[in-house]
Amino acid sequence: MEFEAVIGLEIHIELNCATKLFCDCPNNPGDDANVNTCPVCLWFPGAWPRLSRAALEKAALVCLGLNSEIQPESAFDQKIYYYPDQPKGYQLSQGHLPLARGGWVEITDEDGSIKRLRIHHIHMEEDVARLVHEMDGATPVSLVDFNRAGAPLVEIVTEPDFRTPHHAMEFLKILRTQVRYVGSSECSMENGTMRADANISIRPVGTNQMNTKVEVKNMNSVRHVGDAIAHEISRQSAAVRVGETIKEHTRLWDPDKKATLPMREKFEAPYIPDPSIPVIEIKPEEIAALRSRLPEMPATRAGRFVKEYGLSAEEAAYLSSEPETASYFEELIRLGVAARTAMHWVSTQLLPALRQRNEGLAHTLVTPKRLSELLAMLAKDEINAAAARDVLAHMFASDVSPADIVKARGLGQVSDTGELAAMVERVLAEQAAAVADFKSGQSKAMGFLIGQVMQASAGKANPKVIKELIAQKLSM
Amino acid sequence: MDSIFSYLNPDAPGGATGPHAGMKIAVQPTIGIAGWPARAGSEALAGYLSAGSATVIDRLTQGGAILTGLTHASELGLGVDDTSTSGRAVETKTVHAELMLDMAGEARLSACRGNLWGFKPSWGRVSHTGIAGLIPSMEACGILAQDPATIRSVLKTVAGADDMDFSQPRLDYKEISADEIKPAQFTLSVIGEAATLLSGDERKEFDEEITGLKRYGFNVRTVSWPDYNLCLTVHRIVGSVEASSAAGRYDSVRFGRRAPGTKNWNEMYLQSRGAFFGTLLKSYLIQGAYFQFERYDAYENACRIRARLLKEASRLFEQTDVLVFPSQKPAQPASLDALYEQFKLTAHANVTGCPALYMPSACAGGQGLEFAAGYGADERVIALGEYLHRQRAGGKL
Repeated sequence: MEFEAVIGLEIHIELNCATKLFCDCPNNPGDDANVNTCPVCLWFPGAWPRLSRAALEKAALVCLGLNSEIQPESAFDQKIYYYPDQPKGYQLSQGHLPLARGGWVEITDEDGSIKRLRIHHIHMEEDVARLVHEMDGATPVSLVDFNRAGAPLVEIVTEPDFRTPHHAMEFLKILRTQVRYVGSSECSMENGTMRADANISIRPVGTNQMNTKVEVKNMNSVRHVGDAIAHEISRQSAAVRVGETIKEHTRLWDPDKKATLPMREKFEAPYIPDPSIPVIEIKPEEIAALRSRLPEMPATRAGRFVKEYGLSAEEAAYLSSEPETASYFEELIRLGVAARTAMHWVSTQLLPALRQRNEGLAHTLVTPKRLSELLAMLAKDEINAAAARDVLAHMFASDVSPADIVKARGLGQVSDTGELAAMVERVLAEQAAAVADFKSGQSKAMGFLIGQVMQASAGKANPKVIKELIAQKLSM
Repeated sequence: MDSIFSYLNPDAPGGATGPHAGMKIAVQPTIGIAGWPARAGSEALAGYLSAGSATVIDRLTQGGAILTGLTHASELGLGVDDTSTSGRAVETKTVHAELMLDMAGEARLSACRGNLWGFKPSWGRVSHTGIAGLIPSMEACGILAQDPATIRSVLKTVAGADDMDFSQPRLDYKEISADEIKPAQFTLSVIGEAATLLSGDERKEFDEEITGLKRYGFNVRTVSWPDYNLCLTVHRIVGSVEASSAAGRYDSVRFGRRAPGTKNWNEMYLQSRGAFFGTLLKSYLIQGAYFQFERYDAYENACRIRARLLKEASRLFEQTDVLVFPSQKPAQPASLDALYEQFKLTAHANVTGCPALYMPSACAGGQGLEFAAGYGADERVIALGEYLHRQRAGGKL
């Protein structure tokens, strides 16, 4: 029997607010343990939560960025469960009246078609504390760090529209891009600002059954999500084939063993309304005002890049995948760089170099202005491409202008035909075999000869001029 | 003093100015005062010192009031029992007023026990900040005093919007003084269903109290609130569910004592949590957990009924200025049922969020009366109390 998977995702995103969700403590979970705490996020007796307006706005922008409909009324509930990382006995979450309902993300399916994956709802909730288990000599010690307790989260709960690991991975990539665009989160699975759980069940292909689902947690990258889902589909299919019954429970993905392992039985916590936080009322004009703050979203921007700058769909999608990249690219164009040159240099030189240096566009010394100055010198044949790459490498370390780097390193391009003609003469005399090859119709020999002249000029010669000079000499 | 107070203010008061200069206040240890013990009558909070002061405390001390000390509380302020000394400091005139939680009627019942005036404000009229209650949707900071004018004075200072408490409704509260009470135009209504809960002797006493009101010229009529008795059922379900959740934070790990002899951290957490609550409170919390996990449908039904009760109460207050209820002195509760027996005539105000004032009886041994007004009409019941207090002082009763 052939099976197909029915998959839904629950994605937690930590909002990049300055403060926590219900108090004014800094939202910096990575600081020294327990420095960002107060009676509210420690839930001391008498503590009374105050909802952060900034967090509400950032959460609402996530909803709008994911085409979800913000509800006129939403409210917080107490999700009742106890664990040492949640010592007040309940988590403030929106169980009954979520901030937004509906929504969708469109992905490109494996066959190239566009598939719309629906969102069921989006709600806000507070994060829990972090447990740290250490050894004090031979004694195991368990510590609780409350820096993360009360950090603002949104949870995106999808419909069970996914059928393959590809769907889940593409959904997460697009969702991450869209949330980064609205500026509400960094959405890094590696850093824990985005966490995804998957609910997976299987059914015979062609049926509409909704069978017992298994929840899988602990996936720290998009790749892990895909691998874990693939493994779980395979595990459940094998189990059903030998007559086993799938029981509802939670499993953990073990990336080393590349397997999902049983964790616990599925626990459904009850929700009761929380009286300490008033019902959130959002008026249509407030939603309109928030909507006006949305930036041009990635799919729209990519479409415009194709239309306005003549990029291919793939190039446009690549440049649009991060808002900073897209803005950088457009700033280069505004500064006079040709679109294709800008696309080429950003995607093949700048971004790989930044990744190698573990830097981002936001803080690099290679500002659009400086890169545009470098590319202007290239366009005017003042330097050649090899020299431009060399100059770029030096631009990451200092804010000296590209022109000064060229000057200091003597990288100015030699286009003087008199000076280059002597070099060409010498190379042609030394490379008789290549000259013969060229004359016998082997055009590749031209490249070799140009390279020899470039080498003789220490990389400064203008390759266009060299080519012309060689062609002249050999056609005589 | 120690028989009344669990903690006495070590700082000698003096020199304070303001509207409450010289006014002595006793405080139930469910209300936070920075650096003071906040045991709230529970072993689960043994040794805990308040991290900050409740807004009500800040406002009173800024107004010149003197915090005399902390009373002894029933466990986490729930119910009125023999361990609670609420009302005693006012009764003995050691202080002028006392602040305490009213989650199901405790402030009014303590007033009844001590023959004092006791007031529960509208829900949210007074900031919750710094008050460690169990039933957040029903509780309010109550005020006990020898006379309603003192209650008005304290309320004026502690009430009002607090930027630290977003749950407070933003209402315009209408001032009304005792001088504006005109008995002939002021409607008082007795809920017939409440009166039927009394024994024969109690009913007789209640009727005498009503006769007293009529002597002042008030037209007192009887109205029906068919669902009145559901107030207690709703309170018992919703209150215990909220309490079970609210008490979760008293984990005996960060506060109070940890369970001894546990093998690892997980066992320590699990065994400490709830271990140091008393039997009555444990019963209440277990009841709440039962509704949370096993009979959530009953909790949802109780919430729906509560919404209906709110509407019904609003309709009653459209037809009357003040509702009049009988009162009963609280008996020592030995069980959960006995605890709720205490609340059968008081829980309505907590369920509906309405303001309620207990007026002591003018007769020796009398049970007194409780007045309730529509949501937000706090000053109306206080003005009625002031009017009646004046009349009594004038020897008219």
